[in-house]
Amino acid sequence: MSESNGISRRRNAGDQDLGLYFLEACKGRETKEKEKEEEEEEEETPRELNTINSSGGFVVVSTDKLSVKYTSVNLHGHDVGVIQANKPAPTKRLIYYFEIHVKDAGVKGQIAIGFTCETFKMRRQPGWEANSCGYHGDDGLLYRGHGKGEAFGPTYTSGDVVGAGINYASQEFFFTKNGQVVGSVYNDMKGPLFPTIAVHSQNEEVHVNFGQKPFTFDLKEFEAQERMKQQLKIEEISVPPNVSYGIVRSYLLHYGYEDTLNSFDVASKSTVPPIYIAQESGIDEQEIMYALNHRKTLRQLIRNGDIDVAFGKLREWYPQIVEDNTSATCFLLHCQKFIELVRVGALEEAVKYGRIELSSFYDLPVFKDLVQDCVALLAYERPLESSVGYLLKESQREVVADTVNAMILSTNPNMKESKHCLQSYLERLLRQLTACCLERRSLNGEQGEAFQLQRVLNSGRRG
Amino acid sequence: MSLFWLVIRQLAEIEAMAASKKIITRDEWEKKLNDVKIRKEDMNKLVMNFLVTEGYVEAAEKFRMESGTEPDIDLATITDRMAVKKAVQSGNVEDAIEKVNDLNPEILDTNPQLFFHLQQQRLIELIRNGKVEEALEFAQEELAPRGEENQSFLEELERTVALLAFEDVSNCPVGDLLDISQRLKTASEVNAAILTSQSHEKDPKLPSLLKMLLWAQNQLDEKAAYPRINDLSTAILEDSAV
Repeated sequence: MSESNGISRRRNAGDQDLGLYFLEACKGRETKEKEKEEEEEEEETPRELNTINSSGGFVVVSTDKLSVKYTSVNLHGHDVGVIQANKPAPTKRLIYYFEIHVKDAGVKGQIAIGFTCETFKMRRQPGWEANSCGYHGDDGLLYRGHGKGEAFGPTYTSGDVVGAGINYASQEFFFTKNGQVVGSVYNDMKGPLFPTIAVHSQNEEVHVNFGQKPFTFDLKEFEAQERMKQQLKIEEISVPPNVSYGIVRSYLLHYGYEDTLNSFDVASKSTVPPIYIAQESGIDEQEIMYALNHRKTLRQLIRNGDIDVAFGKLREWYPQIVEDNTSATCFLLHCQKFIELVRVGALEEAVKYGRIELSSFYDLPVFKDLVQDCVALLAYERPLESSVGYLLKESQREVVADTVNAMILSTNPNMKESKHCLQSYLERLLRQLTACCLERRSLNGEQGEAFQLQRVLNSGRRG
Repeated sequence: MSLFWLVIRQLAEIEAMAASKKIITRDEWEKKLNDVKIRKEDMNKLVMNFLVTEGYVEAAEKFRMESGTEPDIDLATITDRMAVKKAVQSGNVEDAIEKVNDLNPEILDTNPQLFFHLQQQRLIELIRNGKVEEALEFAQEELAPRGEENQSFLEELERTVALLAFEDVSNCPVGDLLDISQRLKTASEVNAAILTSQSHEKDPKLPSLLKMLLWAQNQLDEKAAYPRINDLSTAILEDSAV
C-alpha cells in the first residue's frame, strides 16, 4: 500500500483495500473453519493392522484387522510374525500412542511392541534391525537397532496391556505397562514411523488398540503434564505487568469500546500499586483516540441491527466512507440490512431491498459469494439451521461493525499507516505467535503441536 | 594469542550457524501472518478473561454490554473477591479473614499456608501500630502453635517477631515486612486462593500468551531469520539483522 499525501487518493485506494480485508474475513468464515478442522484431521492415523506386508505364513490376522496370532513354530530368529499398522504415526500433535493387550503369551512370551520404518524386514523383531525399536515382553529389554537389548522395564505376559508412544515435544519414545509409564528413550529414528507388534512363539495372540477403545493408560493426563512442563518453562520468561494492561487498553481503544475503556482507566488508576501504562507517543495516541465516541456509537447501532440509522450517521459524520455505493463497506452494510429484514421475517421487504441494493453486486466476483449466501437465506423456513445460518449470528454483525470501525479510523488525517486501522496490537501479536509456532513445527519435520488460541482459552477450566 | 584464535573460531561458528538458518523475507513472512486466522470473539474472550481475573467488575460489565462477550465467571463473585483483596491491601486483615470465611469457609481450612500468612500480616499490622503487648500475645497464642507444626512457618514467625527488637524499623534487616509490598503479596495470595476455590485460573491468560510469543520467537531464532516483534507494547515487526 503506497503512502500518499492526498486524502482523497489514499481514501479511494485504501477504501477498496481496507473494506475488502473484512470481506475476506467473513466470506471465508464458515469454510475456513471447516478447512482448519479438516487440516488437523487430514493427517491419516493408524486404524488397523496392515495385512498386505506382514510376515505372511507366520501369522494370521483377525477379520477386523485388530488382532494377530502366531501360527508357525518358532525355529530361529528370522521367522518372527511382525505386523505394522496400516498408516504411520501422525506427527502434527503432541503425542502419538497405541496399546496392545496380550491375550495369550503362548509358549515363550516373545511378544514385542514398538515402531519400525516402512522398509523394515518383516521377519525380525522390531528393534533387531536398524531404524526400529521394540520393547520385548520375554526379557523386558528395549531393542534399538541391534540384537543386544538394553535393560528397560519389566517383562510382560498374558493379560498385560502394554503401550508405546512418541512424544514429539521431548523427542522421545515411551512405553507403558498396565497404565504406568515404564520408561522412555530418545527418538533418533528417521522417517514415517509405523506402530508395530510382533509375536514369535506358538499360540501367542495379541489384540491392538489404535484408539478405537479407551486406553488403559491415561493419555490425556500425560499430555496435560507434558504441556504443563513446557508451560512452566515459558512462565519463567518475564514480561513487565503493565505490558498486558497496555495491550488491553489499546484493544479497547482500537475497536471503540469507549465505556469499557473509561471504566478500565478508572480501575487501573485506583489499583494498588497504580498501574503505569506507558502512554504511547502523542501522535499514536491521537491515531487511536480518534473518533472514539463516533465509533462506539456506530458499533452499538450495528450490533443492534439498526443499519438504517447507522447509514444515516455515517452520511452525517463520514460521508466519504459511504459515498461510493460499490465499496466493500457499503456492500457489507447493505447485506446486513438484508439479513436483518430476513431475521424479523419481513421477507417481502427483504426481496425488495435486495433487488434495489444487492443485485448490482452480483456480477462482481469478489462480492458474489456473500450475495448468494444472503439470498439463499430466503429459501429456508428455518434459515438459522441452514448452511447459510452463520449470517444470522452475532459474528456477522461483528464483522460489519469492525469494518465500519476500521474505515472511520482510516479517515484520520494523522493515520500514518493504513494497516494500523485493520489490526489491533493484540491481533498482530497473536498472528506472530501462531506464525512462529507453525514455522518452527515445519522446520522440525512437521512434528508437534501448533499453537491454537482456542485450546488456550478452553484450558484450565475445571468443571 | 590463544584468546585471539578462540574469538576467531567463535566468529566462524556464528557465521556458520547464521548460514545454516533459513532466511525468510519480509514479504514471505507477511504472507504467513496473513494466512493466520484469528477470530474476533476469541480476542474478546481473552480481554474479558483479563478484566475478570484482575477483578475489574465494572469494566467487565461494560465490556459485556459493548461486545456481547459473556464472562467466564459470575461477576457478582468478583465484587466479593475484590473486597477481600482491598481489605488486605489496606491492612484490615481481621476484616479480610471474616469476608473470606463468608465467601467460602473451606478456603482457609484447606490452605494452612494462606491462613498463616494472613495471621502473620495481622501481627505485622499490630506491630506497625505500636501495639506491642497485643502483638506478643497474638504471636504466642495464634502463631506459635502453627510454628511448632511447620519449620518454615517458625522461621517466618521469628522474622516477624524480630521487628519488635528494633527501634528504627525502617532500617532493620527485616524492615521489608513493613513494606506495602508485603501486604500486596498476601493480598495476591488470597486472591489466587479464592479464584482457585471457584474453579477459575488464578492468572489471566494474556500475559502467558505474551511470554509464549517471546519463547516461540527465541525457539525459531535457532533455525530461521525472520521479522521479529521485539517490543510487545507496539507490536512492530522488525527485520532481522542477518
